[in-house]
Amino acid sequence: MSQEVIRVEDLTLHYEERQKPVLSHLNFSIDEGENVLILGPSGSGKSSLTHCLNGLYPRELDGSMKGEVYVKGRRTDSYPAGEMAQNVGVVFQDPETQFCMITVEDEVAFGLENLNTPYELMVEKVDTALRSVGMEAYKTANISELSGGQKQKVALACILAMEPEVLILDEPTANLDPVARKEFIQLLKRLKKELAFTLVVIEHKLEGWLDLLERVLIIHEDGELAYDGPLHDHLKTYALDIHEMGIQLPYATRRALEQEWTPPYPLHIGEMPAVAFPENPPAKSAGKVLLKAEDVHWKSILRNIHITFHEGEWVAIVGENGSGKSSLSRILAGIQSPSKGTVSLHGRSLKKWKENEMRKEVGYVFQNPEHQFITDTVYEEVAFSLRHAGMKEAEWTKIVEETLKFCRLDGLEEQHPFLLSQGQKRRLSVATMIVEDQQMLFLDEPTFGQDEKSTSDLMSLLKEKHENGTTIVMITHDMELVDKYATRVLVMNEGELSFDDQPKELWALPDLVDHHLELPPREQWKRAVWKREEPAYVSS
Amino acid sequence: MFLHDLNPTVKALTIIGAVFLLAFVFDPVTPLLYIVWTVLVTFLFGTFKKRYYLYYFIPFTLFAFGMFWTTIVFSDTASATSETVSFLGMEFPTEDIWTAAALGLRVLAFASLSLLFLFTTNMVHFILSLIQQLKLPPKIAYGVLAGYRFLPMLKTEFQQIRAAHRIRGVNRPDSWKEKLLQYQRFAIPLLAGAIRKAERTAIAMESKGFTGAKARTFYRPMRVQWKDWLFPVMMFGMLGVTIAVLLYFGYFSWYDGQL
Repeated sequence: MSQEVIRVEDLTLHYEERQKPVLSHLNFSIDEGENVLILGPSGSGKSSLTHCLNGLYPRELDGSMKGEVYVKGRRTDSYPAGEMAQNVGVVFQDPETQFCMITVEDEVAFGLENLNTPYELMVEKVDTALRSVGMEAYKTANISELSGGQKQKVALACILAMEPEVLILDEPTANLDPVARKEFIQLLKRLKKELAFTLVVIEHKLEGWLDLLERVLIIHEDGELAYDGPLHDHLKTYALDIHEMGIQLPYATRRALEQEWTPPYPLHIGEMPAVAFPENPPAKSAGKVLLKAEDVHWKSILRNIHITFHEGEWVAIVGENGSGKSSLSRILAGIQSPSKGTVSLHGRSLKKWKENEMRKEVGYVFQNPEHQFITDTVYEEVAFSLRHAGMKEAEWTKIVEETLKFCRLDGLEEQHPFLLSQGQKRRLSVATMIVEDQQMLFLDEPTFGQDEKSTSDLMSLLKEKHENGTTIVMITHDMELVDKYATRVLVMNEGELSFDDQPKELWALPDLVDHHLELPPREQWKRAVWKREEPAYVSS
Repeated sequence: MFLHDLNPTVKALTIIGAVFLLAFVFDPVTPLLYIVWTVLVTFLFGTFKKRYYLYYFIPFTLFAFGMFWTTIVFSDTASATSETVSFLGMEFPTEDIWTAAALGLRVLAFASLSLLFLFTTNMVHFILSLIQQLKLPPKIAYGVLAGYRFLPMLKTEFQQIRAAHRIRGVNRPDSWKEKLLQYQRFAIPLLAGAIRKAERTAIAMESKGFTGAKARTFYRPMRVQWKDWLFPVMMFGMLGVTIAVLLYFGYFSWYDGQL
């Protein structure tokens, strides 16, 4: 018989500033060694539940908490402060903000110091923890110099060093690129085999997690427990409900829903039938030359870049972190001047353009939408550039209203931009960049940290804009988006442009992995089917 | 190197002590000799980019000269004796020059001592040493450390916000009023981001069992060893020797209500 490690009895949680409870009458228990997924729409109190499980609430709570939470048969509030860390460890979503020390080893040691671990033992445990996540080579490195994926591994090492029985991961991969994400999940699978811990995962994207997790708790928007049971069986039948919660299903399942197949739905590409693959429509022939970069160099980051952009293209810029994608897009959009070479728009060097004239042609959407907000209301935000362009009020009010409607922000005119949801903020930042009918739009990782719903909202908006003739250049890590939308893809590799052609040509490259890139799921599916069919070819 | 391996608290207290003593010296020769000594110690026993040391020294030199100059120009001429010295084509009473030089060099002596500390001390080790030697509450100390980590993040964020605002067409403020407004606009996203970050960090720290309690073990134990005492002996010893020699030659004077 496996032992029960967590038991939650009739848990209800209220925040002071909110009327409705965040969590309402939750009852469940988790046994030792279980692998549990917690699902729910944004704002359903999943992170709050984490705080209840690791004893942070009710101690740090502004509000009220009713019901009991037991860890190893003991109420969480009866543990002395700090001791809970030995029982329940949490890895959080944001790799930037879960550290307080400068170097990797100090950070891993921080938790052990809090637990009063003797010095000799601590030195040993730091090494063991770093080795188990494969980060021993970075022991003395500064955390700020690591990539997002490496930071999350360090965050995991910090928790593992304390040897908690329960490991909670609160959207650990939401801010990672797909390759780093895959690595992180692989690492967890290995650790799960080596070390005995109970695993609780909160996630929005299911791809990759399904082999690891067996049980699911679904929390409703009103904070009630809607389902508690086996994950795979539930998903195979009720995928649509989960999709509607804003959860990103695995590709195979999504595909099945789109094609309106009947349940049980496939969960893996391998389970998909070999039906006709949706091939991407052939790219429209490119129009006139719009923007041209010749022999562009920038510091030691970019070398020898030659690119020509045409009207009506949808270009994706991909490549590893630090390969110069952002620098390139900034130079192309005229935010940064190249140290050598020229960028010209409509045949005229960017240097000769007046800043405000150029902004009417080229828009740039930054990764963090908040950075671009300058006024106090959504309406003013969109009206800002028109107002400053000296247009008559009667003219611009109509444009503002149309743009708001186009970006599905109508009804939110008087809101403060900072109070919008993630997806709304993103759409507002796009709205401000298309309101002057810019012909060319640059986007720096537009879907980063966005959930399924806002990603698809954003992409359909961009698609419509593209169909109306806007040229789009976007930096992304998501090969599925590249495959689905881009007419052309640029691969950056250590500051040089190493590939420039249609996406399907990129998928055909044999050395894709060397570029830190992966195949989009559609291609994976295609290949999986080919492989299945191979013996048939031989026999015939 | 010797200076880098010193216990940071001992180093800091020695420097504070030396600054305190120098504040009571009122002749220009003592600080001058002491500056030479401090710079010598810094360069001999510290490893750092020498160029940066010079860059840091320049503003202090300007400040010291300003101090020197204002003291002679605005001195109380009535009480001065008749002896004068020609300086920059102007005649000044000798006494005034002497006092002004004492004040100016004092500033430089403070500067060279502070730079010795700054260039040879790891800030994290300093804070850890403050917890372990001077019993600084961990709550404050780790708060400062977490904040220290934020500084470079805030800097990059500031640059991004500036670029993002430029794209929106808010560029080059013409008047003071506009400039102020622009900084106000920068402040909102910067603060909103910082508050969110701080809250997340606090939650992460607490989840790792941090309670702010004083009882904790240390991964980097900071100890005071016998060789740490060499530094105060060296610094105070040299100050003593300088004062003694100058007393002998009659150059030395304490602050005694001058000015």
